[in-house]
Amino acid sequence: MTEEIIMPGEQIADKPLRLSYGYIENEKTYSTVLGLKRDDKVIPLKGPYEARFGDYIIGAVSDVKFSGYNIEMNTAYSAFLPDRLIREKLDFGDIIFAKVMNINEVKDIDLGQVRVLKKGEILKVLPVKIPRIIGRDNSMITLIRDATECSIFVGKNGFIWISEKGNINLAVSAIRKIAREAHTAGLTDKMEKYLKENSDIKDLKENSDIKEDLKENNN
Amino acid sequence: MEILDELKKDSIKSLISSGKRAGDRDNVTYRDMVIKKNVLGYSEGSAVVRLGKSQVLCAVKIGMGTPFPDRQDEGMLATSAELMPMASYLFEPGPPSTEAVELARIVDRGIRAAEMIDMKKLYIDEGKVLAIYIDLYVMDHDGNLIDAAGAAAMAALQCTKMPKIKNGEIVKGEYKGQLELSKTVTTHTFAKIGDTLLLDPCLDEEKGMEARVTLEIMDNDSICAIQKWGTGSFTQEELEKVMDIAFKKSKDIKKRITKA
Amino acid sequence: MEKVELFKNGKRHDGRNIEDLRKVKIKAHVLNDADGSAYLEWGNNKIIVGVYGPKECIPRHLSNPYGARIKCIYNMSPFSSPGEHGRSGPSRRSKELSMVIGQVFENVIKTENFPKAAIEIFVDILQGDGGTRCAAITAASVALADAGIPMKDMVSALAVGKVSGTVVVDLDYVEDSQGQSDCAIAFSRRNKDVLLLQMEGDMSKEDMKKAFELALLAEEELHKLQVDALKEVYLNVKEREIFVDI
Repeated sequence: MTEEIIMPGEQIADKPLRLSYGYIENEKTYSTVLGLKRDDKVIPLKGPYEARFGDYIIGAVSDVKFSGYNIEMNTAYSAFLPDRLIREKLDFGDIIFAKVMNINEVKDIDLGQVRVLKKGEILKVLPVKIPRIIGRDNSMITLIRDATECSIFVGKNGFIWISEKGNINLAVSAIRKIAREAHTAGLTDKMEKYLKENSDIKDLKENSDIKEDLKENNN
Repeated sequence: MEILDELKKDSIKSLISSGKRAGDRDNVTYRDMVIKKNVLGYSEGSAVVRLGKSQVLCAVKIGMGTPFPDRQDEGMLATSAELMPMASYLFEPGPPSTEAVELARIVDRGIRAAEMIDMKKLYIDEGKVLAIYIDLYVMDHDGNLIDAAGAAAMAALQCTKMPKIKNGEIVKGEYKGQLELSKTVTTHTFAKIGDTLLLDPCLDEEKGMEARVTLEIMDNDSICAIQKWGTGSFTQEELEKVMDIAFKKSKDIKKRITKA
Repeated sequence: MEKVELFKNGKRHDGRNIEDLRKVKIKAHVLNDADGSAYLEWGNNKIIVGVYGPKECIPRHLSNPYGARIKCIYNMSPFSSPGEHGRSGPSRRSKELSMVIGQVFENVIKTENFPKAAIEIFVDILQGDGGTRCAAITAASVALADAGIPMKDMVSALAVGKVSGTVVVDLDYVEDSQGQSDCAIAFSRRNKDVLLLQMEGDMSKEDMKKAFELALLAEEELHKLQVDALKEVYLNVKEREIFVDI
């Protein structure tokens, strides 16, 4: 199954559709990015992270202010975490997993539902690859978590945190492989094989979630 | 971006202190180095070097110049470096930064100290000498721009054509012979992180280093230039160690440059 | 500069027909750090473009709450001309070209998606032989697409002009200096909107009409090269080496 690569300005649909990576002109919809055309949608191949309400992101404390913290999160915009939303005192460089609670017209972000992540590695990937790394119903990321026995938090903004305990190297290389091959078919099968070949892990066939996911991909 | 760099510093320090290095490299191995000569048609000499993901272009142009008042019978040599803003999020557009100036001066020092070019041969006439312009263009930064630039400059000089001179003027578009070089200089840079010395640091390693030392080796025989950078220090043993490694590596790098 | 015979037996001084472009080669994603990049060879021109953004706009007081600020810097390297070694730093010409090229992309980039941010386009002429601003725009469009910056269209550009009384496409340096006029035009791909137009010399209304006709034909060829360059990057699953193939 080879999907069509679409350029900015190319037509996606003959009718007006409200899409994240498209725009409407004269009742037709056009792509704004370099991407893959799938049905009437555009899957971008590259691009900056654009925050949406409800996104879970990973960031680092870049500044300690009087009433809260500025969080660096790989965007052009600053994110603020009011300290009334978090019990612990944070320090410059602390890593957090948080939810985007509010975005204003100039794209300043307010964060909440914070969890502090300690003792781990941060990996940076292209934000557009994150959905594939997570997988449908978390299938892909669960595959990696189980195979590596790492605690992994994935931020929509392109940051991934992996705990010190567990097979970090395998987790990192698996994630990078998914990022590289995100737009190919049969990736879940490939990743299952890859994870198996590169460490000792429990027999995956016994995991019913994975069985469902494999069935989906084979159809 | 700064906070991520700070975090990178810590993770690199702990990685290195546990005896590992990114990309499964050991402490005395260069990343893949690819050198290509004669890449620019409008320059008398040129070369592009890829060292890991770093990419540096060097162009050599020869023009007419006026000599320095205290060296009326010698030609001129000017080396400059530009850290292009497209090469790294760390580089801002504008006049050359201190880092760019240092890079140019280190490469220049090696060429001058080795006396590889006979400056007297560049004399044309009274008040007229040939000027050699060496431009280092950093296009992509993933660490150790110095060694990449040093190799690019050496390779570019090795393929530099001499312009034809007629009646005391350069004949445009015509050439006669090559620039004569009596020596070959190779450049070797080491980063110090904690107690570990690393040859050819990548950008992440440079972010975590306390000090850096560059040794320029002339024809495998002797050192013609040394530059230390950073607030950290080196012990005498460490310096002896890097000298040994530099001499060892020099042969291979010299071959790569000459054979390109 | 010596006078060259611009037309000989119906062919131009380098053997081209009036509607022929010089040989163009485009490669996308050639730098490791930049968010998007492209390398383009057009005749003897060698151009590299790097794009960063959207990123925080510094200095803050220059940021725009309604959309991203497009910052374009066009730079000619001191070794880019076949003549003497030049100066580093921006000349008056570079400053003007930085502005007009920036304006082309301000038109097509969806700046409203990124208020207060900045998008930087760095163009460098490593070797120049006429038509560098057009080559720069053609390459920058590829670099921006490579960076995933949302745009309403792709853009390509080329120069047309009059040489020895005949309207031709894609003037090189010799034709530009000795010809009668030179006109740089940038088109948006789909609607063919004119986003850059700079002409100097002597052109009648008929000349301009003919110039546009020839330009639109050649523009098709350029766009195909842009698409091929981008497809080549993204159709490759294997870990591809990223480098500038000068």
